[in-house]
Amino acid sequence: MSYLISGLNIKNIYEYDSSQSYGKYDVVDYQLNTNFSVYPNYTGLGGQSGLNFWFNSESLGNFNLDSSNLVTGWGNLSDVNFDGDDYKFFIQNSAEENVRPFVDFNENYLPLKDNEFLSGEGFDCIDRTIFMCFEASSKSNFSEQTLLYVDKSSGAFETEFPNGPSGLFRIKGEDSLGSSKIIIDDREFSAVSPIYGTPNIVTIVQTATGPAIESSGPTLEVRQNGVYLGRYPNFYSGWVSGFMQIGRNENPNGIKYYDMFAFSGVLTNSEIENYEKYLFESYFDNEGLYFAKQEVPAGEVRAPVTYTGSAYWTKDIDDLFNLTYGSSASFSSKLNTVDFGDGYKSALSRNVNSLNVSFDLKYEGLSDKEAKALITFFENSPEAPNKSVYESYEGVDINLFQPYKQDAEVYFLDISHETPYNDINNISIKAESLYDSSLDYKGMLIKLDEQNIRTYTDDLNTFEYNDVVYVDNISYSKRGYYFYTGERTSSSLPEANAPLGDNSSFTKEFYFKVDIDYSISSNLRVSSSDIENSTNQYKKDGINYNKLELDLAFSNRSNKEALAMLKFFDDRAGFKFFRYTLPQPYNKEMLFYCPEWQHTYNFFNNNDISAKFVHLNDVEDFYGPTVFNTKISFTS
Amino acid sequence: MSKFLNYRGVDFQLQDEDFYATRVNLSAQASVDPVVLSDGSLLNYAPSSAVVGSLSCDFYLTSSLPSYLNITGTHSDPIKAKFADVEITGVYPKSISFSVEPFQPILISAEFDWYGDVKVENFKEQGINQVRQKQVPNYIAHSYKSHLSSRNIFNSDYSGPSGPTGPSGPSGPQGSIVSFSYSSSCDRPAFYKVDELVPFRVAKLNKSCEASLSSNQLGNLITIEGKQALANVYIKDFYGTLLDIFTVSGVLDNQNYSISENSYLLTEASINQFVTEQKVLI
Repeated sequence: MSYLISGLNIKNIYEYDSSQSYGKYDVVDYQLNTNFSVYPNYTGLGGQSGLNFWFNSESLGNFNLDSSNLVTGWGNLSDVNFDGDDYKFFIQNSAEENVRPFVDFNENYLPLKDNEFLSGEGFDCIDRTIFMCFEASSKSNFSEQTLLYVDKSSGAFETEFPNGPSGLFRIKGEDSLGSSKIIIDDREFSAVSPIYGTPNIVTIVQTATGPAIESSGPTLEVRQNGVYLGRYPNFYSGWVSGFMQIGRNENPNGIKYYDMFAFSGVLTNSEIENYEKYLFESYFDNEGLYFAKQEVPAGEVRAPVTYTGSAYWTKDIDDLFNLTYGSSASFSSKLNTVDFGDGYKSALSRNVNSLNVSFDLKYEGLSDKEAKALITFFENSPEAPNKSVYESYEGVDINLFQPYKQDAEVYFLDISHETPYNDINNISIKAESLYDSSLDYKGMLIKLDEQNIRTYTDDLNTFEYNDVVYVDNISYSKRGYYFYTGERTSSSLPEANAPLGDNSSFTKEFYFKVDIDYSISSNLRVSSSDIENSTNQYKKDGINYNKLELDLAFSNRSNKEALAMLKFFDDRAGFKFFRYTLPQPYNKEMLFYCPEWQHTYNFFNNNDISAKFVHLNDVEDFYGPTVFNTKISFTS
Repeated sequence: MSKFLNYRGVDFQLQDEDFYATRVNLSAQASVDPVVLSDGSLLNYAPSSAVVGSLSCDFYLTSSLPSYLNITGTHSDPIKAKFADVEITGVYPKSISFSVEPFQPILISAEFDWYGDVKVENFKEQGINQVRQKQVPNYIAHSYKSHLSSRNIFNSDYSGPSGPTGPSGPSGPQGSIVSFSYSSSCDRPAFYKVDELVPFRVAKLNKSCEASLSSNQLGNLITIEGKQALANVYIKDFYGTLLDIFTVSGVLDNQNYSISENSYLLTEASINQFVTEQKVLI
């Protein structure tokens, strides 16, 4: 059993088996085939075949390099029959530097771009099973690219029959089912999996002797990623010759060669699967759990990595589940607060991205089978590929609920699962967003998308209350988001009513009104002198002893108002201050910043928002000069 | 709708089947809450749920009850209703009931929730030809031959003409059943995807059924655990053709004895069953 499966707290999940059919929400662990992996130089399988050649990029020692670290030779790891024979290497002795490939020491492949090529001689073989793992990039016109060229040769490195009956393995065509082709000599086979931008395993079984050919002649059988593509009789004689060449494709992005090896002789299907599994485990990152998004009939062309399979299988949570009402978001900023005395304090952002967001994602009303798939998805989320060699695993790509961005990347952290009745499951997943930045002028999670939030121009028309526009201006104080508080109109606005107009219909301040049932509590900042066995005494703590921290509630608000309010907070990023007029009976306009807020999407046009406002009184241009009673001035 | 529609001209169908209804009631309910701001102004009325429709009807049972009206079964998909030529596609049954009284045809009362946009402004009568082409039902459920057989209600093994056999209970006199009724119901919680107003699933919750009967006696008094009992309700037409059987296997938890002037002593009891499903291992 795969460790992926054994690590789950869910039973009855198995490796993908193309002979089985599957139902919607079934989960499989795709590992190419259900056979075990075998290293190419392992000799314990009992077959008579020997390793004909083996080139891979596991070690830098496999390459010969010139003084510019360009490749002049690729070592053959096969130790059968070729000891000390340099001609069994792939070599590049051309005087022209532009034909020598460069090997990236951090990667496990050798890229061959433009005219770069390697060739070698002495690989003659009558019956042979060739395995190639490569990743091709497409040419602009999707024209043919040669992966392997086999021919006769009298010289060491160049063929004498450039136009003769050479053995050719090529690819071509647009990357779609029916268009992409794997070509052996001149015979085209339709590829079943994408041929560009992803690793591919192509297996070529070359049969030229034995009883089987007496009736059908010599044949080549072709497989792509474990799927049998077809058989090609009477292949070109070059295939049994000893000269081999890779590269020379005039493709600026080139082809990455991960691994290629061959056995003299025809391997059994089981042995072929063993070696294909080795390549798959070594170079593919699209293995792991897949989820059926519809009923899947049996058949290897419906494997998850095939063109057809992508219509049946997915790793995308949005293909399977939709969020339900009740989903919520909670924002908080990491601030360091410095108290200066006299009630003055400074809230400092700890880093450039101090605003944190945590989502409570609701998936309610799931059947048992759906719940099983979702819990499995959650438990398996740390198995995503690493973001880079320097970072850990990727988060989950997900469409968040309104008004947040649709293509967010979040990390699943906690899951809560309850079943109120048979076959009804309510699941709540806590997730965090780590890669969204409040430094982005378009917004952290509520984006300037030119649909819900538009860039203001003189021609912009159709406004209604709570519309949000972005004003681009060279002045920092004038640049930013403005909120429309005027009457509904379908036309553009006169200059005076524009965001920067003299009689603007927009505001940059917090204009939203709290619920009628609000509560405000504050306490005096006083200190006490607790003299033992005597009366306590209170003293005011400096001159600003009436500091407010408000927890305000905005209940049952429409989607439009919620978008505007949440955009306001998103733009203030948890530390930027703004003006707000307290409700009756205070009615005073004061400065606040909002370090925390929560949002729950109750139902369509029904949002609850709560926010903490912290009173700020150290800004000179609003309250006048800052006055310290406790200030000590040092004079020389 | 340009005039008052006549009962005779209004058609009622479920899943394209004609139902001979004596009453159909259709209603819609929106749940809204006023949003009042701190300055005392009313912002708006915020929706707290989708528009939930109610559909109820009384109809004659003219064949076996369709499986989609089996409230305690596993079928939870929406059914289609057509009323006065307007189609409602998201209809979810949530209860049925009927009572069997002497000399009366049996009327089934059914209640449904429905969701989605329904063009109620397009209600209209069916054409004369449609009315003429409507087939007369072959069977109509009637109390004359319908009966209830039970086990362990009257302290006897079984009662009724074709009651089930089973473990013997205490022997005792049979009761004479005067009338009986049956009902089954469930809750239908609706689940919505965000930004949608029509549920993607309307599940079944708390499925239960009940059989009640009125008789001249009820055997021993119930204990603190009630009395395990079973009732099979056989619904037949006037000529004895069996149309359907409704079974309640639960606990008899209620006994009532009453008498009034110019009347006999009558007893009433009800058997309640909480319907469960064995989970299938996945």
